[in-house]
Amino acid sequence: MGALFGAFLKVSMYGFGGPIVWARRIIVEERGWLGDAEFADILSFCQFLPGPNVVSVTVCIGARFRGPAGALAALAGFILIPWTVGFALGGLLLSYAQAAVLQGILRGIAAAAAGLIIATGIRLLMPHRQRPVALAFAALAFAGLAVLRLPLLVVVLGLVPLSIALARPQQAPAR
Amino acid sequence: MNPPSPAAALVGHIALLAIISFGGVPGVLPDLRDFVVGAHGWLTDREFANCFAVVQAIPGPNMILMMSFIGWKVGGLPIAIASALVTFVPPCALSYAAFGFWDRFRDAAWQQRVRRGLAPVTIGLVIAGGCVMARTGESGWASLAVTAAAVALMLATRINPLWLVAAGGALGGLGVL
Repeated sequence: MGALFGAFLKVSMYGFGGPIVWARRIIVEERGWLGDAEFADILSFCQFLPGPNVVSVTVCIGARFRGPAGALAALAGFILIPWTVGFALGGLLLSYAQAAVLQGILRGIAAAAAGLIIATGIRLLMPHRQRPVALAFAALAFAGLAVLRLPLLVVVLGLVPLSIALARPQQAPAR
Repeated sequence: MNPPSPAAALVGHIALLAIISFGGVPGVLPDLRDFVVGAHGWLTDREFANCFAVVQAIPGPNMILMMSFIGWKVGGLPIAIASALVTFVPPCALSYAAFGFWDRFRDAAWQQRVRRGLAPVTIGLVIAGGCVMARTGESGWASLAVTAAAVALMLATRINPLWLVAAGGALGGLGVL
């Protein structure tokens, strides 16, 4: 339990930019708690769930080892201290955000971070590039949210049932 | 009946978005921005972009922190904490409940179907989130170029994303953007 708390505290505090990368490094390589395949499996499951992906990964790994208490220990490690530290630091930065230099820095960071999100999406899309139906649904979701500016609820409720109904399970190598 | 206070409306909306945030939090950013900046004017576009940027520069659970900062601007510390909690508690409860169930039926045909059906939609949402954030905060051509360069480098190299964020911040600090 203590180990779960500690491991996820570390994941969270190291997790600049991409906590998932650190979660893999610490859980798989450093602690050897899970194999690569098991970790990838949990991750792929969590990517479909709502909510912050890495938090779902935290809960699932905690639960696998110690049930509900393990899930809570891992979650507490991931959130309590890092949230407090991050909130204090970030609050400080935001209160000086009018300063010209800081304003410029934040603008640059936002531009780069937006690029990271787009690249992550494109990378996730690659395995589906042979499936026209999948590409069409990705394009529709993109257009609904970014171009038409529809509410997320409308996009999700409108597309997800249709997309699942049209997906064929057995065709093509499942990845 | 009085309309709900801004704080209650915000927390309620974040809770709703969190529960439907398939594919992760980036997908909720366009909707959230329209809600807090466009519909209610609680934050300026610039402040919203700042909240997004700050959490990239500090460690910790960054999307939960972003919701906290938006809550903080609207209603102070209590609303910051409430916004953080609704971002992860309901989805966590769901993942906990769903994990065992999902594991048991991992080879079932319906499960593959759900996976393959959900995936493209969630991917579209994530890319949309990135594109909307790239245009947020009266960004000019130079910052769009930074975004494009970050996409290209991420896809073409194995560079640590942290360097890209740092490089973006450095360019911005020099007043280029």
